[in-house]
Amino acid sequence: MDFKLPPLGEGADSGTVVNLFVKEGDQVKKDQPILELENEKAVATIPANAAGTVTKVYVKPGDKISVGQKIIGLSDGGAAPAASAPSARNEPAPEVIQTGRAPVQTPSPEQADLDSTDVGSGGGLSPAAAPSIRKLARDLGIDLTRVRGSARGGRIVLEDVRAFIQRLQRLSTQPRTATPAETPTPAKPAAEQIDFSKWGPVNKKPLSPLRQVIARRMSENWSTIPHVTQFDSIDVTDLNALRKKYAEAYEKHDARLTLTSFALKAVVEALKKHPIFNASLDEAAQEIVFKEYYHIGIAVDTEAGLIVPVIRDVDKKNLIEISKELETVARKARERKVSGEELKGGTFTISNQGGIGGAHFTPIVNKPEVAILGLGRGALQPVVRNNSIEPRLLMPIGLSYDHRVIDGGSAARFVVDLLAAFQSFKAGDVKL
Amino acid sequence: MDPIKTEIVVVGGGPGGYAAAFYAADLGKKVILVEREKRLGGVCLNRGCIPSKALLHAAHTVSSARESEARGITFAPPKIDVNKLRAWKESILNRLSGGITQLAKARGVQVVHGRGYFEDSRMLRVETEEGQQLINYDHAIVAVGSISAMPKTFDLGNPRIMTSQEALEIEDIPEKLLVIGGGYIGMELGTVYATFGSQVVLVEALDTILAGADADLARPVIAHARKMFKEIRLKTKVGKMATRGKQIQVEFDMDGKKTEELYDRVLVAVGRSPNADDLGLENTKVSFDDRGFIHVNEKQQTTDPAIYAIGDIAGGVLLAHKASKEARIAIEVIVGEDSAFTDVTIPAVVFTDPELAWCGLTEAEARARGIEVKISKFPWTASGRALSFDRPDGLTKLLIDPDSERILGVGIVGTGAGELISEGVLAVEMGATAKDLALAVHPHPTLSETIMEAAEAFYGHSTHTIVRKRVE
Repeated sequence: MDFKLPPLGEGADSGTVVNLFVKEGDQVKKDQPILELENEKAVATIPANAAGTVTKVYVKPGDKISVGQKIIGLSDGGAAPAASAPSARNEPAPEVIQTGRAPVQTPSPEQADLDSTDVGSGGGLSPAAAPSIRKLARDLGIDLTRVRGSARGGRIVLEDVRAFIQRLQRLSTQPRTATPAETPTPAKPAAEQIDFSKWGPVNKKPLSPLRQVIARRMSENWSTIPHVTQFDSIDVTDLNALRKKYAEAYEKHDARLTLTSFALKAVVEALKKHPIFNASLDEAAQEIVFKEYYHIGIAVDTEAGLIVPVIRDVDKKNLIEISKELETVARKARERKVSGEELKGGTFTISNQGGIGGAHFTPIVNKPEVAILGLGRGALQPVVRNNSIEPRLLMPIGLSYDHRVIDGGSAARFVVDLLAAFQSFKAGDVKL
Repeated sequence: MDPIKTEIVVVGGGPGGYAAAFYAADLGKKVILVEREKRLGGVCLNRGCIPSKALLHAAHTVSSARESEARGITFAPPKIDVNKLRAWKESILNRLSGGITQLAKARGVQVVHGRGYFEDSRMLRVETEEGQQLINYDHAIVAVGSISAMPKTFDLGNPRIMTSQEALEIEDIPEKLLVIGGGYIGMELGTVYATFGSQVVLVEALDTILAGADADLARPVIAHARKMFKEIRLKTKVGKMATRGKQIQVEFDMDGKKTEELYDRVLVAVGRSPNADDLGLENTKVSFDDRGFIHVNEKQQTTDPAIYAIGDIAGGVLLAHKASKEARIAIEVIVGEDSAFTDVTIPAVVFTDPELAWCGLTEAEARARGIEVKISKFPWTASGRALSFDRPDGLTKLLIDPDSERILGVGIVGTGAGELISEGVLAVEMGATAKDLALAVHPHPTLSETIMEAAEAFYGHSTHTIVRKRVE
């Protein structure tokens, strides 16, 4: 039996394998993670759909795979692996020289929601297309595995290539870090190699797949979204007192009442008043998509790097439900057991560094969202209240937003309402 | 003599070399074609494809005259004048070779006859009859081909121990001929000699004949050869040979059991070796694999930036049409087009009786690469056309991707399979589906219908054969 890539949801139909956890001959349990797939938002694990012995692995890290494509062969009886090395056909010699034009770098899946299907049934079949079409694609630097064929059996015809180019063109006219159409090498212009060991001892570590994903996303988000960060500080003296008062009661219900739980509720209150912060920019359609749901991403700091699981329908949940869910997702993120589904569909992100330390910072908007809230560590500060100086617990905040969609005035108004929401929690809201 | 300056020099005038030179000239390049021999055309034209097909055609007349007896038409036993036969064959080769020379002239391709020797990465020295000629080039294409392998232990300097080259010269029709090697060369030439009256014994070290082909396709060929040949011995090695008067004494080793027999002639058809010796390539940056074939990438570039290699010398399958395709790729790359030998379907044809041809995936390859295929076959016993000429020993087979129903491979055994396979090549190259083949009307009564019917059989409704219904 072959295990194929299951539907990923939300219209996503492909991704890149970043990590492979199994090899031929391994025993796997149902739901055991098979591989990590990069798509849409981050790296997600794909669990096995059944238990068995891995008889064949069809993919390797770096492969772009599509829904329905074979990932591994599984035998339930622990039968002998029936695999032999693929034989090279008509391949007289290894690639010895790198010359010629590199193919045009087509946008990665999350940039262009291009239909990418692997028409072949695994085993490295090339896409079905007439020789003339393959030649044309080669001349134009188009990777036919990314073009969906419309003719019988998924065969790619001229119209399909034309439609693909039109989509590429449409997408390339929109602001984004487009890869140059023609580069001498497939790699990005190489940064100057510096020999750091000239000045003292060094040690080197390869960039992990997750770190590569983070790096790529961050630089893309940073360079394509005009960021503005609005700073403020929120007086959370009363809120913290409220939190401490009920923390124990929550503890008895196996929930940790943290400031993040309150932040989630407060943010949703502000989002309801300012729907533009809960929106996305559809660059292809030139539309703003307002979402009538409130799914909030929570930045979780893990050993491997940043992962942002999403808590759904925060507006419909109470503080204890939110507190419990926060703990669950944070734990799953640290154990890297978050499914692809759980990383998707966020409408706004909160990054709370309060547990670690630090004050104001400028978070980077998590595309396709348009705003992100960064919370610093609350600290006692002298505050003038009623004409006297009082020690108050102030929490620094930074709200980064996409200035293409949101204006400064809107951001200021959002922050005012957010402050109010933080300060309006009553005992009744928290009491169990 | 001063060096001639040229944009492209092609070394070797076979089907790879002359195709490269002509294409380059057609694209406006200054080209020099260097050929060691007097006649252009290489092994294919002079000592391979063409003469063997001429002889097979001549042999076919003999066998069809014999077969006509059952149809009530009898002829006197054939008299074979080998001198006349050879002259007729030569006339064909001269005509073809002359044609190539004219085509070269018409294109302005300068042909220099002589042995080429690379002085360095930019200079070729040619030893012509008029003396040495230096050629200074921007790009060189090495298309020097391959030669019949002759293991040292067999090389007694006895002309009765032949390779395909000598066998095609037909000195005589030996009474007893031993063919060493059950590949396509041994099978084709064994067929020629057997039809002309030799008692042919074919030995093969492996346990199968025509090892590259799927077993179900090779079977009718082997069955027919067993009737034509005196004997086919599998898993048999030839130990050593010795001259015994006008005969050759041959020692066989069959599972450790040694026997000796006498033959009038021996044909050694154990493979082909690269022909790159004495070319001076060691003065360039060209590198070789451990069998002596030149390393190339998918753009036919060698490890020397100025030098390309195509055809047999570049390894892979040793077929003329592969060389011609590579010629086009090399020239396109030289003129700056983005071209590469990727996803090219190279058909294989064995001109045995019956013929055997395939393209795209074979069953063995599908298995090895883990590609799931559905197989649909149409036996020629159900073909009216095949029965009309008494040769129902054929089979048309399609390898189909079960998901997209795309044709991944086609295999045909039977009379004329070599001509029929082109439709398979087109189907594979175009990414056609079984439905495309089934829906395209094929003329009746022809053998091409077997392709359509094999496609129809995939859907469970072939007209002339009963297929199990597809269970989905």
